[in-house]
Amino acid sequence: MIADKKYIKRSKSFDRFFEYFFMAMAMLSASFIVIIVLFVFTKGISPFMKNYEYGQVNLFEFLTGNVYRQDMQIYGVGFIIINTLISSFLSLLISFPISVLTALFITKIAPKQLSGIMQSVIELLASVPSIVYGVFGSGVITVFVMKLSNLFGVTTFGGSSLLSVVLLLSIMIFPTLTSMSITAIKAVDIDLEKASLALGATKMQTNFNIVLKAAKSGIFAGAILGLGRAFGEATAVAMVAGNKLFGPTFNPFDITRTLTSTMLAGLKETTGLDYDIRFSIGLVLIVVIFTSNALLNYAKKKVGNMS
Amino acid sequence: MDTCFNIKDLDLYYGDKQALKKISMDIYKNKVTAFIGPSGCGKSTFLRCLNRMNDLIEGCRIDGTIMNEGHDIYSKNQDIVDLRTRVGMVFQKPNPFPMSIYDNIAYGPRCQGLKDKKKLDEIVITSLKQVALYDEVASRLHESAMGLSGGQQQRLCIARCIAMSPDVILMDEPTSALDPISTSKIEDLIMELKKDYTIIIVTHNMQQAARISDYTAFFLLGEVIEMTDTDTMFSNPKDKRTENYITGRFG
Repeated sequence: MIADKKYIKRSKSFDRFFEYFFMAMAMLSASFIVIIVLFVFTKGISPFMKNYEYGQVNLFEFLTGNVYRQDMQIYGVGFIIINTLISSFLSLLISFPISVLTALFITKIAPKQLSGIMQSVIELLASVPSIVYGVFGSGVITVFVMKLSNLFGVTTFGGSSLLSVVLLLSIMIFPTLTSMSITAIKAVDIDLEKASLALGATKMQTNFNIVLKAAKSGIFAGAILGLGRAFGEATAVAMVAGNKLFGPTFNPFDITRTLTSTMLAGLKETTGLDYDIRFSIGLVLIVVIFTSNALLNYAKKKVGNMS
Repeated sequence: MDTCFNIKDLDLYYGDKQALKKISMDIYKNKVTAFIGPSGCGKSTFLRCLNRMNDLIEGCRIDGTIMNEGHDIYSKNQDIVDLRTRVGMVFQKPNPFPMSIYDNIAYGPRCQGLKDKKKLDEIVITSLKQVALYDEVASRLHESAMGLSGGQQQRLCIARCIAMSPDVILMDEPTSALDPISTSKIEDLIMELKKDYTIIIVTHNMQQAARISDYTAFFLLGEVIEMTDTDTMFSNPKDKRTENYITGRFG
């Protein structure tokens, strides 16, 4: 018997101490989410209360209204919700295939050196601050959209438009989607690929029929994260959206307004109801994100069922 | 007797390291040939040469010839896809695709462009019957193959291979991840399959080689020390090293 009883006792209490310590840390970080949601909830719900100091707002009109004019105290976000959904899902639609194919290229097709370089580029893109994307958007994308609209004989408001928002968001969520897809593809068991090749499948058949199928659950998780970013992106979007006063906007060359751009625009120069209503919009945004995440997770489970 | 592979002076290098040295052997049609030897002796590497799976390994280089059906499989005009449809492979760890049992077996034929549902049905059913798995899975052909037991998965992988109607089936330690009952099922299956296919099996289980193979090659440090019919190998080995290995003195 070599065990030192004192030592064992001490290390056991050490163990217990760290267990509680880590639990406390976990609780602390989890409580932030609760605190934030609670804060936004109480503040966001207040304009719809009877005793609201600047005059009660009708919740139904707020949620379904298609006009948003702070100068006339008309706050309807129905069209803004639709705008947000449209721009986010369209950007996902554009970015998703490009990201997945890029990830496939980086992991399976590109020669080692190139794949290393490209992966660094993707990581770099992910770390570019949104304000920089915003300047790029207002300086380059809007100009491009303006020229494009001229080709169609349409005039735009200086290029600010739904299309600009969509293009900008597509670029912004691209790194997230790609790096998640890379991780998912790398996690695919190499034995599956070997089995496919040994059956006489070509490299491309293997990549599309086996690798992507086996990685789809992880790729889908990336899509959910990317969509979350598209919903939540404020700064850059506000710089190219144009903040239309009514809607919803279906014309790609027309200006639009998203939940985030509405919250951001003039936040620091306003008070009273116009200030408080932004929390209500934040609450709506949270609900929209939670709902779409839940729906996508449900779809992910359905899609991933065969594995 | 007809030969299936004629290998002459095969050298294989991983980078600077030589993994196979001057290997020459004939492999006969419709026989079971076993490769035995200690870990790292090159038997699996050599097996992978026969359907060119070593092509996937970076820095792998090969000299010498492997003739199959009068054609050098390492010649420039060899179509690898064509070779792999004729020379199938079963791996050490059962590796069914994460799809249904049916789709697993139909995968190979579909990759060759076969779309006719009736034909595919027929291939799936006959392949499953050949590996004696059909009765066990008939009611759940369209359920995920991941729900099968390890032994069933390995038989599914063999069925998937058979679905391509290859001439040769290469097996790389196909039972080393399985329990004894599943192992004996696979061994029975191999005895059954050799009527229709040439089987080459790598095993580190000498009893297995003795039980199921017609010919055995003993590998050591990248060389074939001895290759002969299995009975002679196990009763009267010529080389001292072979004798030491099969009597369990090392390995």
